[in-house]
Amino acid sequence: MNEKRVILVIEDERTISNFICRALNANDYKSIPAFSGKEGLSLFFSHSPDLVLLDLGLPDMDGMEILQEVSGLPQETPVIIISARDRESEKVKALDMGADDYIVKPFGVSEMLARVRTTLRRSDRLKMSQGSQKDVYHIKDLTVDIAKHQVLLNGEEIHFTQNEFKILELLCIHAGKVLTYDFILEHVWGPYGSSSNQILRVNMANIRRKLKENPSDPKYVLTELGIGYRMLED
Amino acid sequence: MPRPLMKLYHSYTNLMQFLPKIPRNLLTTALFLCIAYCVSSVLLQHTGAENNSDLVFTLAVMFISLLTDGYVYGIAASIIGAFCINYFFMFPFNAFSLSYSGYPVAMLSMTAISVVVCALTSRVKLQAMESAKREQDAKALYELNEKLNQEKAAIQLQADRETIRGNILRAVSHDLRTPLTAISGAAAVLLSSEEIASSEKNASLVRDIKSDADSLIAMVENLLSITKIRDGVMPLNKQEELLEEVAGDALLTIRRRFPDYPVSLEMSDDILFLPMEPMLIKQVIVNLLENAIRHSGDREHIRLLLFRREDWAVVEVRDRGRGISPEVMQAVQLGRPLEDNLLSGDSSRGMGIGLSVCQSIIKAHDGFFAAENAPDGGAVFRFGLPMEESKHE
Repeated sequence: MNEKRVILVIEDERTISNFICRALNANDYKSIPAFSGKEGLSLFFSHSPDLVLLDLGLPDMDGMEILQEVSGLPQETPVIIISARDRESEKVKALDMGADDYIVKPFGVSEMLARVRTTLRRSDRLKMSQGSQKDVYHIKDLTVDIAKHQVLLNGEEIHFTQNEFKILELLCIHAGKVLTYDFILEHVWGPYGSSSNQILRVNMANIRRKLKENPSDPKYVLTELGIGYRMLED
Repeated sequence: MPRPLMKLYHSYTNLMQFLPKIPRNLLTTALFLCIAYCVSSVLLQHTGAENNSDLVFTLAVMFISLLTDGYVYGIAASIIGAFCINYFFMFPFNAFSLSYSGYPVAMLSMTAISVVVCALTSRVKLQAMESAKREQDAKALYELNEKLNQEKAAIQLQADRETIRGNILRAVSHDLRTPLTAISGAAAVLLSSEEIASSEKNASLVRDIKSDADSLIAMVENLLSITKIRDGVMPLNKQEELLEEVAGDALLTIRRRFPDYPVSLEMSDDILFLPMEPMLIKQVIVNLLENAIRHSGDREHIRLLLFRREDWAVVEVRDRGRGISPEVMQAVQLGRPLEDNLLSGDSSRGMGIGLSVCQSIIKAHDGFFAAENAPDGGAVFRFGLPMEESKHE
């Protein structure tokens, strides 16, 4: 892609906005800063960016409103939320409302760039595949074959229980995206199934042991503390 | 009783107050008998009619009964009065005579009057005493109440002050976060730019800016946690979490900040799923690892261990560095927050607040916190969290 990707940065703190934009520009993105919610929305409609970085704590309007307005549109512009550390519930709510990812203040530049890159790649892939799902997913040494219901690690088959496989499958389908606990629970156990977080977490602990994952150096599944899980992309 | 009489009564009792009980009663009795005698003598000289004297004495007996304690003085006065009447004021004068037919009746009625008056006055006195006591009680109660109110106000003031201090600390910390993030971010942008990276001098300065900004961010996070814990205003927002995920997240944070230090995570096969506030526990682990990195002098062997021991989920941070100084050890064992003067050395900058945040957080989780020097060298910091929510909460 020769054309620079356009990223709208809706953030009222000028110093933060400034370094975000500088970092994005230095990495071959075109950044558009917006310092209020209203300005952000009008810039969104006039520039139709490829990605939105949205601070939830804006002075003039609730970040959630912007998220709602932007994520309901047919162009499906991905949104990354910028939120404070101590507001987990806000992040979960934003993710469940259609945000693609989040970064927590205070955040580092490399972390932000990595999230931007992942989210853009994922949204490109979704647009190209237009909803058709892959049958086989490769992530590093891991192969998940949905059709054959088979998981291979370094070519060796690993046995997973039904629910463990469903979780893995769900994570693969949405690789790169943070899936909240509630999202996973609903898709694996059904909307009326067990709402207990514990079952999911224990299943996850078992998956991690079977994949010989070390949580301090995750190769496949990332933990988003207090929020959910994310499968790394290949 | 009409008011002037009441006043008279009070002034008399007040006047007699300084005397002890028995002399006072005797004096009162004698005084009124004398008055009665004098009045009767005067009457006798003027009218010559002997019958008025018993009325005068009856009046005196009544006053005596009223003003003395108990029945004895009144009855005694009535008997003495009866004899006086007989001896001084009845024909034949200055001699006893039982010939007058009405005499026993007069004597009996005088005694009866004295008994009745005594009974009445003693009741009145009792009531007066009770009301006085009630008044005193009420006063004491009022004073106690006043004192309690004052104490309550003082405590409230103290609590308010603490809350205000906590709120200020929290607000300041919040406000520090944004500029610090911007400083660290701007430094990171500069570091990645070619002009800066090409000059090692500039790059190292910018690296310092970034690393100090990052330390300040970590300190602000600690301050925020401390205001949260120490206030006790906000209860812990506990939820069931996998300890390995929290520890893993802590380790990732540490790796980002100290990429040159290989910290290893070792965990047992136990699934440690327990109630905690994940962000706070993560912070404890980050602080302990940061302490090991900054203060142990060991670069190679910092380890983070997770395991289960009985009903505790235990986390250990081990290094093979220079070990824990006795001052720090003592402060940890006594569960005291580390004082700044213990940590005057420059290398210990920030260790005090870090460890004391750890202790506060673990205490709020009903866990234990310990520090020791391993037999084969190096420091061990260990904390445990209860696997089950404690019952008494």
